Amino acid sequence: MTTVNISVHHVTRVEGHGDIVVDVKSGEIRECRFEVVEAPRFFEAMVRGRPYYELSHITSRICGICAVGHATASLRATERALGVEPSEQTQLLRKLNFHGEMLDSHVLHTYYLVAPDFLGVGSVIPLVNTHRPIVERALKIKKLSGDLCAMVAGRHTHPIAMTVGGFTHLPTEQELRDMQARLVDARADMDETVALFSTLDWPQFERETEYISLQKDDEYAYIDGRIVTTDGFTYPIEDYRQVTNEECVPFSTAKWTHHNRESYMVGALARLNNNFDQLHPRAKEAAAKLGLKPLTTNPFLNSAAQVVEMVHCVEDAIEIIDELLTRGIQPEQPPEVTVHAGEGVGACDVPRGTLFHNYVFDDDGICIEANCIIPTNQNMANLNADMKALLPQVLDRPQDEIRQLLEMLVRAYDPCISCSAHYLKVEFV
Amino acid sequence: MGKQAVIGIGNPLRGDDGVGPRVVEELQRRTLPENVSLLDGGTGGLGLLSLLENGWQRVILVDAADVGRAPGEFVRFTPDQVRMARTEHALSIHNAGLSDALALADALGRRLPQMVIFGVQPGVIGWREGLSAPVEAAVPRLVAAVLRELQS
Repeated sequence: MTTVNISVHHVTRVEGHGDIVVDVKSGEIRECRFEVVEAPRFFEAMVRGRPYYELSHITSRICGICAVGHATASLRATERALGVEPSEQTQLLRKLNFHGEMLDSHVLHTYYLVAPDFLGVGSVIPLVNTHRPIVERALKIKKLSGDLCAMVAGRHTHPIAMTVGGFTHLPTEQELRDMQARLVDARADMDETVALFSTLDWPQFERETEYISLQKDDEYAYIDGRIVTTDGFTYPIEDYRQVTNEECVPFSTAKWTHHNRESYMVGALARLNNNFDQLHPRAKEAAAKLGLKPLTTNPFLNSAAQVVEMVHCVEDAIEIIDELLTRGIQPEQPPEVTVHAGEGVGACDVPRGTLFHNYVFDDDGICIEANCIIPTNQNMANLNADMKALLPQVLDRPQDEIRQLLEMLVRAYDPCISCSAHYLKVEFV
Repeated sequence: MGKQAVIGIGNPLRGDDGVGPRVVEELQRRTLPENVSLLDGGTGGLGLLSLLENGWQRVILVDAADVGRAPGEFVRFTPDQVRMARTEHALSIHNAGLSDALALADALGRRLPQMVIFGVQPGVIGWREGLSAPVEAAVPRLVAAVLRELQS
């Protein structure tokens, strides 16, 4: 009889968040739980009573990694509620900004968290000694993505120039040209990235689930569109609650979601499974090198799908800048907003999956009701189901190996755990 | 003196974690020397590295920190004076903070600007806006301390 007792405690800076507690006796899973960021529970309290124009600035603070994602979903919800239609230039700039954040988040996740698992080191710090060029490349890509976000919307973690209907600050054509040159230069880094990740020995594990993402007719969807699932369902984003079906689970403060099956997955792999044909040709080449095509059902490959998306974002950003330069940057002001009562839903596919913001406004444009569903909460039931399926397959392995495999599985989802709590613990020496 | 920056780190939606940005907000109402930039570092994590590598001669950071004092009390220190708890191989990139950014810079042998850190003991960290009373009460003293530091 195998008796394994594993408890992987997430090093939190705030109590009450993310632990994996896996307790296995006699080959049976007794407990398998994981707690995630609690932001959605407090979402309404953050925004209720605040005027419409403050919401994106407040909610962009929820997550230091997805500030642009939250701001964009927030703005779309507000714009849909108040009948504001952003100009084509605004839409292009938002997409460009989004690509910057996607690149930023994916490079951090794949290089700093995923790669060390495969390269036999505990974290990115020892990686400096063993694989310095890899770390330098990651930092270079990270700088590029941060500068791209800063060019469009102010600082990445605080996209202050993004506002209802448009931007309060516009990049100059020279800035766009300089950024485009750096993106073209980054193609070589992308090639190296694909080469690196295509050599990794991904754990063998298949578990098909329902993959859910946004979809658009004319492009690989990140902002707006409709909700689609690999089980053949399609919904307008206003009907997001029919997809997310949130429910409380006894051992977690986070609500879990399910749709057509016991769980579903959102994120890069779900997007790739739904929208593969719309990836940039270079991203499709990367997918082929990484062994990805629809339908990929190994959740560990979510990280590989992120690499594919990095290539897509670089290429698409180059093309968006072409389009902006051809059109010429117009000195647009955000449109006047006529305040009235209304409700709107904004949806974006942020790095970790589909994010929904939902607001109700009163006659004065004050938010009176709000809801937010983050990707990590949607993935929790699926991660749990993956763990339950994976454990029996690996129970005969040494405990350390099981622990590492479970941690790697969690990392593959890159959950938003104690996101935005970062405070220092200091010991004087 | 070359370019200087005051960077407030933290999240205003998480109670006293927002003390850094709060101090920066106060400083924005003051007239400061032209060579001083005020930055809201948010919860930049490893992104703080590129923020620090911006050609500053000196950077003053204000961050919530467990310095073993009563809430609102703060300690001035430089990175070489302390050992900062670092996140070991984390489950999420959302964990990274100033200590991780500095450790990475150190491993890479990056030349960072001269740094002074004001670590403020938080009282309440959680999803709520605004600082707790003892930390809010410390803001004027923190602002004064940062201003003195800028003049030194």
